[in-house]
Amino acid sequence: MKLLKYATYRLLQSIPVLIGISIITFLLANLGPGDPVSLMLQGQEQNEALVRAIEQRYGLNKPLHERYLTYMGGLLEGDLGQSIHYRRPVTDLILERVGPTLLLVLSAYAFALVTAIPLGVIAANKRNEPSDHASRVAALIGVSTPSFWIGIVLILIFAVKLEWLPSSGLIYPWRPPSTYRSIDGHLELYYQSLRHLLLPMIALGTLQMATIMRVERTQMIESLQGEYVKLARAYGVPERTILRKHAFQVAQLPIVTIVGANLSTAIGGAVIVETVFNINGMGQLFVDSIQQNDYQLMMGVTMMLGVLFVLGVIVTDISYAYIDPRVTYGESE
Amino acid sequence: MAVGESQLDGETESGAEDEVEARVGWRYTVARIKQDTTARLGLYVVSFTLFVAMYTLIDSNLSRLTFGQVSNYTFAQVLPFFDHPTHIPDPGEGTQHMPPYFPLAEQSWNPLPAGGTLEHPLGTDHTGRDYFTRVVYGTQVSVFVGLISTFIGLSGGTVIGAVAGYYGGKVDDILMRIVETVYAIPPLILIIVFTVFIGGASIWYAVLGVGIAFIPIFARIIRSQVLSVREMDYIEAARAAGVRDRNIIMRHVVPNSFAPMLVYATLQIGVTILIVAGLSFLGYGAQPPTPDWGQMLNIAHRNYMHSNIWLSIWPGIAIMITIMGFNLFGDGLQDALDPQIDD
Repeated sequence: MKLLKYATYRLLQSIPVLIGISIITFLLANLGPGDPVSLMLQGQEQNEALVRAIEQRYGLNKPLHERYLTYMGGLLEGDLGQSIHYRRPVTDLILERVGPTLLLVLSAYAFALVTAIPLGVIAANKRNEPSDHASRVAALIGVSTPSFWIGIVLILIFAVKLEWLPSSGLIYPWRPPSTYRSIDGHLELYYQSLRHLLLPMIALGTLQMATIMRVERTQMIESLQGEYVKLARAYGVPERTILRKHAFQVAQLPIVTIVGANLSTAIGGAVIVETVFNINGMGQLFVDSIQQNDYQLMMGVTMMLGVLFVLGVIVTDISYAYIDPRVTYGESE
Repeated sequence: MAVGESQLDGETESGAEDEVEARVGWRYTVARIKQDTTARLGLYVVSFTLFVAMYTLIDSNLSRLTFGQVSNYTFAQVLPFFDHPTHIPDPGEGTQHMPPYFPLAEQSWNPLPAGGTLEHPLGTDHTGRDYFTRVVYGTQVSVFVGLISTFIGLSGGTVIGAVAGYYGGKVDDILMRIVETVYAIPPLILIIVFTVFIGGASIWYAVLGVGIAFIPIFARIIRSQVLSVREMDYIEAARAAGVRDRNIIMRHVVPNSFAPMLVYATLQIGVTILIVAGLSFLGYGAQPPTPDWGQMLNIAHRNYMHSNIWLSIWPGIAIMITIMGFNLFGDGLQDALDPQIDD
């Protein structure tokens, strides 16, 4: 049960970070020059009494630290306040929108891992051969290209020119939009959602793919030069087995770290990719909250994205500890 | 690679002293960069983009034509080796101006001039401004934004990381907890919140926001560097000799942990440009009429995906090449500065 202990330890360790995130977002939202009351009354006539009433209702007349404590109190109960623009609880809005974003990010990672690992292994195995150079150039292009532009180019090619795939929206199998309710059978629905998912997935996954591929290549090269590989060779183990078993397994550990560390880039990328493909996820919600100056919603979404990132890192840390028997579960820290 | 080898020979011929002279230091690094194809290529691309950025900064005529809405000059007209326009309009003068060949009022938005002429190699944008000029000018914005915000992140991170690493204990704990917290918010999110809620969408707040958002990354790297340098004998000697802490940090600790930071900063410039392009794409970075690649892509993506696909292509290629230059150079620099790698 060492693993469970480690997981608990990591979760406890993240509490100060989460509190820190809440403080930062709260300060940024409340110390800015934007006045929430005048934003709420946009277009309406402002009179003293109304302003007072609103301040009273939202507790805006209290000092900052009291408001923060109230906010935190709500947060512990899962209440993130009321969205000013949507006039609905922030928690509800987030729960509605978190699905598409998770689907997008996870599928992008799946795409990245499935493509990058074989390519990296091939590149390392055929070092300094044409296929290696080609994959290195591809990886370089991948890390140098903004995801939104990849999205635009994909739309131009596959949606505008070839008209093979839809250019916007996302269909989630668990909650099909009304136009797709009539579709019989799950297969068709899954096919449709896959068609919608394909382009945004590639757009978001390319950067991850390129990063992972580079790491995979260097790790494999290093791993192939390891003592254990030399030993296996000396024993006459076939080269393919060496590649698959001895070298490969060791090289995968840093990949886990990279996946965790890049999660924040992926979440940031999801915001932009959702804009390009018009996907109703957390990213769109965030952009909406910014555009509408809805500070309550903004705080909620930022908190949530921070939590997602922290949880993602913890999950990768735990899986790292699970995979690598040498990890000491951080007890010495 | 034949060229590389001959250059390498040139280096070794210059005498045994150079060989003995440690495998670190500037001369060695420069030599390594020269012989590394990747680094050389990156250096060329970076120099080219820097040159273009500097040039567009100096040529204010061109700048005013692009930044103000004055738009009836073609690129061929304002390039120095063609003729400069005889009348440079004041800023704002052109706001009422409509390009003669593109009367918006009468003609529908489509089709936009497709380009391919000497006057407009890449065509014009929706207000009739030469697209090539604007793409070229985008270099200035992107490169300086990348450099300045990386500098902010680097210097902020160096100070925090060095102090935390050198003093250790409570100071280290507190500083690193703050750094970790900032690190836990996805940079793009943090930057947008910072930009919009503190300053209002503008490129300068974006630059500052990006710089601050990247302080944690640099702080963590320099801290780990400092931790390893701190235990060195010469630091011990300096301390024994009564050198003040601040001087030890600034004179000994920081310079000795700077090489990996340099590599990281170079690579970080690429990331910064990427982020700022995304920011502008969402509308929170550079504001029109500034010719910024992300912002140009935003306009092209929203309105002209079907009528003129090339408007969405050129700025993207420009972003890609610029970032690729910094990445190539950073990779090459990494190989050059790391004596352990022997290819």
